[in-house]
Amino acid sequence: MGNLSTLIHFDYTLMIVAVGAALLGTVSGALGCYAVLRRQSLLGDAISHAALPGIAIAFLLTGSKVPLILVLGAAIAGWLGTLLIMSIVRLTRIKYDSALAIVLSTFFGFGLVLHTLIQRTGNANQAGLDTFLFGQAATLLERDVLTIGILGGIALIVMLIFWKELKLLVFDADFAASIGLPIRTLDILLTSLLVIAIVLGLQAVGAVLMSAMLVAPAVAARQWTNRLRLMVLLAACFGALAGVSGTIISSTASRIPTGPTIVLCATVVVGLSIAFAPNRGLVWDRIRQQRNRRDLKAAMEIQE
Amino acid sequence: MQRSEQKAIQVTDLTVAYQDKPVLWDIDLDVPPGVLLSIVGPNGAGKTTLIKAILGLVRPAAGNVLIYDKPYEAQRRIVGYVPQRGSVDWDFPTNVLDVVMMGRYGALGWIRRPQKKERELAMQALEKVGMEAYTTRQISQLSGGQQQRVFLARALVQDATVYLMDEPFQGVDATTERAIVTLLQELRADGKTVVVVHHDLQTVTDYFDWVMLLNIRRIASGPVDEIFTSDNLRETYGGRVAFMKTDKGGV
Repeated sequence: MGNLSTLIHFDYTLMIVAVGAALLGTVSGALGCYAVLRRQSLLGDAISHAALPGIAIAFLLTGSKVPLILVLGAAIAGWLGTLLIMSIVRLTRIKYDSALAIVLSTFFGFGLVLHTLIQRTGNANQAGLDTFLFGQAATLLERDVLTIGILGGIALIVMLIFWKELKLLVFDADFAASIGLPIRTLDILLTSLLVIAIVLGLQAVGAVLMSAMLVAPAVAARQWTNRLRLMVLLAACFGALAGVSGTIISSTASRIPTGPTIVLCATVVVGLSIAFAPNRGLVWDRIRQQRNRRDLKAAMEIQE
Repeated sequence: MQRSEQKAIQVTDLTVAYQDKPVLWDIDLDVPPGVLLSIVGPNGAGKTTLIKAILGLVRPAAGNVLIYDKPYEAQRRIVGYVPQRGSVDWDFPTNVLDVVMMGRYGALGWIRRPQKKERELAMQALEKVGMEAYTTRQISQLSGGQQQRVFLARALVQDATVYLMDEPFQGVDATTERAIVTLLQELRADGKTVVVVHHDLQTVTDYFDWVMLLNIRRIASGPVDEIFTSDNLRETYGGRVAFMKTDKGGV
């Protein structure tokens, strides 16, 4: 009997965690497509690292671990980091990649210092804040999953509403500006959506590896299709798949951080896609090359 | 020049600078309606910047631009734009028809998606550029000339009165070049004004009826047979250093 009740309890926890991871993977997979297509894959990394001090400050100010408050703190810090990168590029002669590296490491270092300070205070409530580094999906509660669902859902709906505007912004920003689209505002909107996707994943996946949840599903999806619509849909599915499988593996084995596990699962999807996808896949490519060579040889023999 | 007539494009005292380096200096340009004008000049002369400044894509340090007597913001709907082919990532996951329909986004306005009407307009434009057989083709699988035709088709569905085109002949095959020239001449015959950034001096007299010679400053502009002289060309291509030295006037 005792066994049975732990089993049921275990299943319920696992279900919550799996739902959370699936939602997370869906949101970050879909929005990650835009980051990848704009060649801003590293921006996700900067945002997630920059978000870390925001969590600590939100906790220090409120003493609360309510997900919405921590997410808000993370979002503000991630946002400030992104703005800082953009301003550095615009106002100085420092290049984008250098600005990114400076902001990423400064914010992250500041975040680590704050987290260490919080741990020293011995506040009993602080337990669990360190999961934001590498992620621990097993700590996801119902309220966390609800937060992910609502905010992630809003982000996806906004993406769908401005679908054609965002598509044109990513494909041809000059043309978009010439027909009167406010590209600065759209740029900020798109970045904000990315910030939302990232901060939602911090608890489960962690700041260090969250950007992989944006990039990997999108890269894999691009291999299979030449339509943006399908790419976003596929990336959402791949993200959910990697999220769920990664969290389940890390939840069942004890004390394996979820971030790395999810990233490994996503890597498998990327690897398979790069190898086996039709048209763009390496295997397909090789077969086509050999066939071409054979055809060419045959044609030459006929000529002789 | 025809002072009393309405101008399709009127550029006055336009100066654009990146950091402290002037890219365009005190440009005046009047383009009457219904001409086919080429902007000609050496690399770094500011040809692309001039087009972008007319479209409000770069902010000028001084001067202003009018399209049919009104600022560009009020005239977007009657201006069509063909950016340089190399300015976009052709590996973007989309197909030919989809790119052409982007030319209708301005008229569609926010949120509304392209419908059957937009699809038909895009198909007509693709027929005009001879690309109707490629509607579902992924854009990375097109040749340079085909990509250029797709960009032209996108501008055609804008159904504009004034067209600004940045190097439409860049890296295209001879067939495409002829097709584009025919198209440009048809546009002019319809009373449209077409401004083209061009780099091939050999073809200026054949393709265009107006020319602007540009090298940071406007050297000359007007009908090709008056302006396209060897003296003006020498001034455009030979004397850049001399210009920068003599140029000390305020903005």
